[in-house]
Amino acid sequence: MENISGSIKKKDHEAKINGSALYVDDHLMDGMLYGRMLHSAKAKARITKIILPELPEGYLIVDKNDVTGVNRVAIIIHDTPVYAEDTVEYVGEPILMVVGPDDQVVETILHKIVVVYEEKIPVLDMLTSDTVFFDYNYTKGDMDKALAEADRVFIETFQTGYQEQAYLETQGLIAYPQDGRMTVRGSMQCPYYVHSAVANAIGCEGKDVQIIQDVTGGGFGGKEAFPSILACQVAVAAKKANKPVKVIFDRREDMEFTSKRHPSLSTYKVAIKNGEITGMDIDVLFNSGAYTTLSAVVLQRGLICANGVYRIDNLRVGGRAVKTNTVPCGAYRGFGAPQTFFAVEMIMDHIAKEMGLDSLELKEKYMVKQGDSTSTSGKYHFHVPLPEMIQRIDELTDYRAKRKQYQQQIGRYRKGIGLSMFFHGCGFTGSGERDIIKAVAKIRKNPDNTVEILASNADIGQGLKTTFCKIVADTLGISYDRVYIDNPDTDRVPDSGPTVASRSLMTVGGLLQRAAEKLKKEWQEGKEQVIEEHFVEPDFVIPFNLKDFSGDAYPTYSWSVNAIEVEVDTLTATTKILGAWGIFDVGVPIDMNIVMGQMEGGFLQGIGYASMEQMDYNAKGIIRNNSFSDYIIPTAVDVPNLVAEIMNNPYTHGPYGAKGAGELPLVGAAPAYVEAMENALGANLNKVPFTPEDVMKILQGVNT
Amino acid sequence: MVNGYQATSLKEALKILAKESVTPYSGGTDLMIDPEEHATFLFLARISEMKNIIEDTEYLRIGAACTFTEIIENELVPEILKEAAAQIAAPAIRNLATIGGNICNGSAKGDSALILFATDAKLRLVSSRGERVLPIAEFYLGRKKTALKSDELLVEILIDRINLSNYYYKKVGARDALAISRVSFAAILNVADGKIVNCMTAFGAVSDIIIRRPDIDAMLVGKTTKEAKVVKKEYIAAYDQAIIPIKGRISAEYRKAVCMNLLRDFLESNGI
Ligand SMILES: Cc1cc2nc3c(=O)[nH]c(=O)nc-3n(C[C@H](O)[C@H](O)[C@H](O)COP(=O)(O)OP(=O)(O)OC[C@H]3O[C@@H](n4cnc5c(N)ncnc54)[C@H](O)[C@@H]3O)c2cc1C
Repeated sequence: MENISGSIKKKDHEAKINGSALYVDDHLMDGMLYGRMLHSAKAKARITKIILPELPEGYLIVDKNDVTGVNRVAIIIHDTPVYAEDTVEYVGEPILMVVGPDDQVVETILHKIVVVYEEKIPVLDMLTSDTVFFDYNYTKGDMDKALAEADRVFIETFQTGYQEQAYLETQGLIAYPQDGRMTVRGSMQCPYYVHSAVANAIGCEGKDVQIIQDVTGGGFGGKEAFPSILACQVAVAAKKANKPVKVIFDRREDMEFTSKRHPSLSTYKVAIKNGEITGMDIDVLFNSGAYTTLSAVVLQRGLICANGVYRIDNLRVGGRAVKTNTVPCGAYRGFGAPQTFFAVEMIMDHIAKEMGLDSLELKEKYMVKQGDSTSTSGKYHFHVPLPEMIQRIDELTDYRAKRKQYQQQIGRYRKGIGLSMFFHGCGFTGSGERDIIKAVAKIRKNPDNTVEILASNADIGQGLKTTFCKIVADTLGISYDRVYIDNPDTDRVPDSGPTVASRSLMTVGGLLQRAAEKLKKEWQEGKEQVIEEHFVEPDFVIPFNLKDFSGDAYPTYSWSVNAIEVEVDTLTATTKILGAWGIFDVGVPIDMNIVMGQMEGGFLQGIGYASMEQMDYNAKGIIRNNSFSDYIIPTAVDVPNLVAEIMNNPYTHGPYGAKGAGELPLVGAAPAYVEAMENALGANLNKVPFTPEDVMKILQGVNT
Repeated sequence: MVNGYQATSLKEALKILAKESVTPYSGGTDLMIDPEEHATFLFLARISEMKNIIEDTEYLRIGAACTFTEIIENELVPEILKEAAAQIAAPAIRNLATIGGNICNGSAKGDSALILFATDAKLRLVSSRGERVLPIAEFYLGRKKTALKSDELLVEILIDRINLSNYYYKKVGARDALAISRVSFAAILNVADGKIVNCMTAFGAVSDIIIRRPDIDAMLVGKTTKEAKVVKKEYIAAYDQAIIPIKGRISAEYRKAVCMNLLRDFLESNGI
């Protein structure tokens, strides 16, 4: 283990343990009002009339007419209305906000409002969508030729469902006008995203907006784009009321009406000739929901991962993100990759079975290695540690032997073991980092020789404050206690980009390391010094071109192999997880405790995605799984034997050799779990979550 | 602010209950889910008459305000009830949640209530007017409806001192902790002198009320295992008719299939 990897007390430890950490809902301001949203009750309708009750003194209604800027939320494409105009496009779409001094009275007013809808027929099923938001296609080699010359073509469709981030702290923000400016503070991952959205909605210049992140109780991607939407609504309300306005979502509201992982349908056509895989023709469909939000970039990542970790010379990948009258989907740890990694791992497994091979054998044959070309004709520039990961998994689990042993089972309890291998591309997809984000980070040495880090990345529980400070302290050779970082405030910190895409530590941490190196050289006792660093793309990167998806989509990759062992009770169709093992390469861990926390938590979230986290809408487009008793996520008791191990594989261009860690552990759990279920049940499976009801159908021999 | 009375004796509690509209509050783990805003509570946790677990010649008597942790740790409590109690929620909830609350909430998903159905337990209901003892099956009137009068408290649960050691129990929840039953099944079967002397089964979480059908179970009573095998098909068919799962988030088909699988397994594990 490298020195830097030793664990240290987290910067936010004390405040979170003693209760002094303030979340947005803990803040009270003079004259503060409470806001509650009126959400559409219909999936698609024209609003013909809104009948308001008489409002008591001090209460007001805020809607589209109060938007002083543009009634659109600036995300990637500006199509999400701040407040609904004449039509609503999904159940939950915000129509107006009731604002006033007493939360209970606000609630009462909300219930008295009558919205008259002229209902239209909603499109709920993505297969019947008539609006394609994004359509990407790329090729490599000659897929038509591979198909024409194939002696067999495998075709199969794989399905994945919603996943809700289920962070502990629901969405919440406070907005307040002050000296002609607007401040918005609260729970978020990306202060500068919120910054541009608010300026656009209230129609002011960037300098007149201030965004402050408060202590945030989890994000997992759910607080990437959604806070931009809520911030516009709250800022518009605060501007109208000319007072602070606080909005905190309740759990049901949060689960039903905020972004979640895109459901997907992926169809794989795989050409085989002389027992060799000669090409993959892949078609991916993502359900965007009613507005585009982040779907473009989620889809891009999904498509780039569509051939998994395999060397496929002829490749054709097409994907669409389509509109439905359902809640807009967005970012969730993994960002499009869990969907296609599930599909590709399963198709490899099914092809192997047809060829009479074990899936691992087939996968090993096609696994990429350093120097190989990526799906987008970029390059795997660095060592790919998959072979040693597989070996380690086999040592830990006896995978190969068990896999065989579990093939033919009778009796009440049946065991199975499955394995997945995958990567996570570190940082933004394509040239986003270079062309769009252009991250800037600063460190400031104070006269008392303490050092402050100035960056816009948010500690959302993942430990970023600690790892940033460790990098700067260690580089400067000063004690960790002398380096500090506050929650980002756009009045004070430069735009070092959002807290997403497993980029913060690798990219911004890298800038901080460089800044610290410079400061060390220029260090002057007792003087204030500020060092600023700008992002520079590493030389080795083959520039990415989004038009034809060519070049390095990512500078480097984090790698992992997972194995999961299950035992199915054939009487109840329930499944016990006997063990879950993950070997993870995230470069050099900057803090072992933090990294292990990320690996274990992400892996467990992935297991939930695979096995029990079920969410669906009914015929009216209403999501019913809107509470923790209806949306089941795994507990520690459900996977008691969860083993995460780190494989040290330093990244030459990351700070201290670190690369992306946040998302990796979630990405490959689903295929490992479902492969294990196949091994136990002796059937081919193609969907997640794979629930007890699905198991029962297989056991009863019902065609699914 | 929560309004309430902290009663320290049963008498005191019943007096308050007789004259005021109060909500009995035992562990509060059900009440907290959807708290009535202006309710006045009658806290039961300090009423010693409701905290005992004792045996007399006829019954094992469990105080309604005993928590599941207390039940699990008590040596008089039969294994079947301990096993069910140990699978409820998680330690923090079990330290507060009581057996009385599990019954009085009137839910067919109550995991301890299932065992009390399977064992034909009786409930001792007391008011300042007097008391009555009701078989548990008569206490449940419908979904969330019980025979409890507004001035009554459930004070004790009475379990017959029959042999409960040969039992079968399975809870199916959505996960291994903090999960409400999707299906649950409990059964007891005793054989003496080669003959089945009692067979008691109960199915939870499938209907509005826990399903307990002594009339069907009677088909096996008085028979040898061999004779029971002869009527097995008929017995299973009778349950196949009797169990009609109500619709829920989890399909009726799934829950029905699990019930029938467990019933068959229970018989097979007893050589039938
Ligand atoms: C996270 C969580 C997990 C749970 N998991 C499970 C589970 O796995 N299995 C399960 O069965 N339940 C579960 N429950 C439900 C609950 O914990 C149980 O039903 C528990 O037994 C209720 O007991 P209590 O003492 O907390 O009831 P309370 O909330 O105090 O009362 C429940 C109802 O009964 C009435 N009442 C209580 N005692 C008396 C009395 N002596 N006389 C008259 N009326 C009375 C109250 O007025 C109220 O209407 C869970 C609950 C939570 C919050």
